[in-house]
Amino acid sequence: MKRLLATLQTGRLTKRLDDLLALPASSPGIPLLRPERLSDEVRAALVALCPSGAFAEDGGEFRLDLAACVACGRCLRRHPDAIGEWRTLDVAVTRRDDLVQRVDLARGTLIEPSDPPPSRPELRLPTLGCRAVSAGNGGLDDSEIALAGNPYHDMSRFGFTLVASPRHADALLVTGPVSENMLPPLERTYHAMAAPKAVVAVGNEAIAGELFAGSPCVRGGVDRVLDVDVYVPGSPARPASILFGLLLLVGRVRQTLVGGQPRSQRPAPPRP
Amino acid sequence: MEALKRALRSGRPVALWHDPPQLRYLVEGPSGMEEFRIPADRTFTCLAREFPALAWFERQLAEVAALQRIGCADPKPLRDHGTPFPFATYDGLHEVPVGPVHAGVIEPGHFRFSVLGERIVNLEIRLGYQHRGVRAAFLGSSLERGRLLAERVGSEPVAHALCYARAVELIAGVEVPPYADRFRLVLLELERIFQHLGHLAGLFTDIGYAFAATQTGRVRAMVQAEIERLSGHRYARNAIVLGGVAARVDEDAARAARAKLSELAYDTSTYIAPVLRHPMVLDRLRYVGVVSEGQAHRLGLVGPTARASGIGRDLRSDEPSYRPFVPVTRVGGDVLSRAHVYLLEAQASFGLLDRFLRELPDGPTAVPVVAPDGEAWARIESARGELLYVVKAREQRVQAIEIVSPSFKNWPALEVAVRGGGLPDFPICNKSFDLSYADSDL
Ligand code: SF4
Repeated sequence: MKRLLATLQTGRLTKRLDDLLALPASSPGIPLLRPERLSDEVRAALVALCPSGAFAEDGGEFRLDLAACVACGRCLRRHPDAIGEWRTLDVAVTRRDDLVQRVDLARGTLIEPSDPPPSRPELRLPTLGCRAVSAGNGGLDDSEIALAGNPYHDMSRFGFTLVASPRHADALLVTGPVSENMLPPLERTYHAMAAPKAVVAVGNEAIAGELFAGSPCVRGGVDRVLDVDVYVPGSPARPASILFGLLLLVGRVRQTLVGGQPRSQRPAPPRP
Repeated sequence: MEALKRALRSGRPVALWHDPPQLRYLVEGPSGMEEFRIPADRTFTCLAREFPALAWFERQLAEVAALQRIGCADPKPLRDHGTPFPFATYDGLHEVPVGPVHAGVIEPGHFRFSVLGERIVNLEIRLGYQHRGVRAAFLGSSLERGRLLAERVGSEPVAHALCYARAVELIAGVEVPPYADRFRLVLLELERIFQHLGHLAGLFTDIGYAFAATQTGRVRAMVQAEIERLSGHRYARNAIVLGGVAARVDEDAARAARAKLSELAYDTSTYIAPVLRHPMVLDRLRYVGVVSEGQAHRLGLVGPTARASGIGRDLRSDEPSYRPFVPVTRVGGDVLSRAHVYLLEAQASFGLLDRFLRELPDGPTAVPVVAPDGEAWARIESARGELLYVVKAREQRVQAIEIVSPSFKNWPALEVAVRGGGLPDFPICNKSFDLSYADSDL
């Protein structure tokens, strides 16, 4: 009886998608390059201050790779003029290039990529069985996938479920930089799935290896071994971002980031 | 060698690694930590027959340092998947392979059961799937990048970053400001609560008790929200920096966190604690997956696992900030005892947090760290137990690193705990230890 009461008193925990996609105030958002403010000194300073090497410059191009950003917030705090901030979690994309911001230094503008391809029509399923495989992840991206199923995020309201058998799965959620030792089981899991099937790279490590890129014991990204349909950046990828990625996969939302910047923000207005 | 054996008989190995041209043993005995250096360039003598707690260390040495083993009782690979793994087989017994890909959302590892009917006669664990070359990734990194790597070794970023940072700060001979010292412990205790409630939620899910799993998950999610509010990250990555912490929480934020945490402490006592007295729960968890105190000693177990088997060692007892501190100890050694330890430690951490947050000192958040060439080690009681980092610095870069995680020491406990039990009990046994695959595969 007491327990029944406790259950009823707890009320409804599930949050609306819009609320989930808003980043809590204490966490830094996604950095956005402001091409017109990137002087030589600022660029050099950015390259030097980023602990994970997300900024790079070569061949007349300055780049910020969101899949290398560990969200420390340093660039946002130290260079608020040159770096804007995107504070929602609708960051999943269908194309790796859409996580990289590129500035043409000669013209002082962002390089505009083509429109992102729509997700595959055969994946517009009413429900989606997801099989998660950790391929060398420290455990946090896995934890975030599991938490996408908690009462707050409640992935099942969208028809997404986590399934035990790859035979029941429509989507393979991969975390980690793909360790050599996990490559055979990962491929076996993928081949056990029935078509149509999708692959989602969850977290920076799965996208490009993050800090383990270059280690001889890992492949450095899921798309080196399987065709990836959706990339969910983050260190680790947050549950709301994962939900957005799955919604993108089944074609129920439109991709926000194009060429690493939100469509609505292009061309970027200078910050006051 | 004789002195080493004498120390091992009365103590417990903390680490064993190769620092050419010698092997280095850290042994914790009744009178504190002792170090032994034994020359070894191509071979070394295995001691695991007499001291089983060394078994995984010796398997590791054979792979990492490419040393030949002499007198080895268990010549199996540890992480190397290039050589076949000689699983034990028994006439007339059925083999059940499980993994590396498991049913739930957990990390990969392979379990090979030899069963008679439903009874487990033997279990062998094969790991290494998560091996990412962590040691090699550290070598030559800047000290700052090393901290980022430490946060990615396993699923306890605070404990790893703190342990690494303390080792580097010891080399540099700097003392972190009082505020940073205290705030780091706030993060560490929050991480402990988050992890412990995770173990409990997993157990309740595995026994099909939805009410308890949901309530535990709810409290856990709100603890995580506090972690994010105080640190700017859902797992407090980037919050610890060399020489201190990244940012300061102001008094209002600290007060708000205390209020919220005291609510959550109340919820833990009201909704979660009674669950461990529920007859159905007792029925499922009691007398299952027993690790006796003797076994825990012989295997050199650490953390909540050891404390649930009657070994009252908690590194927090050595830290002045925690005093007065009494480790939580249980004697049953079964799944229920481990669940009790998780619950009681989580509750105790709520109390510690209240104190730490009330007494947050003023002053700077960090001091610069310039490390001369040198070596130091640091230990932290992480949620899963004793964590050790040995760092050697040279020209502001990591020259050598040794990481010994609690999971690395505790994996053998699972093999022992399930022996003689039913196969269907395996998930709750596994969940009751809730070991990290990644930080022992490195
Ligand atoms: S917020 Fe990201 S891009 Fe900016 S400095 Fe930190 S890691 Fe680098």
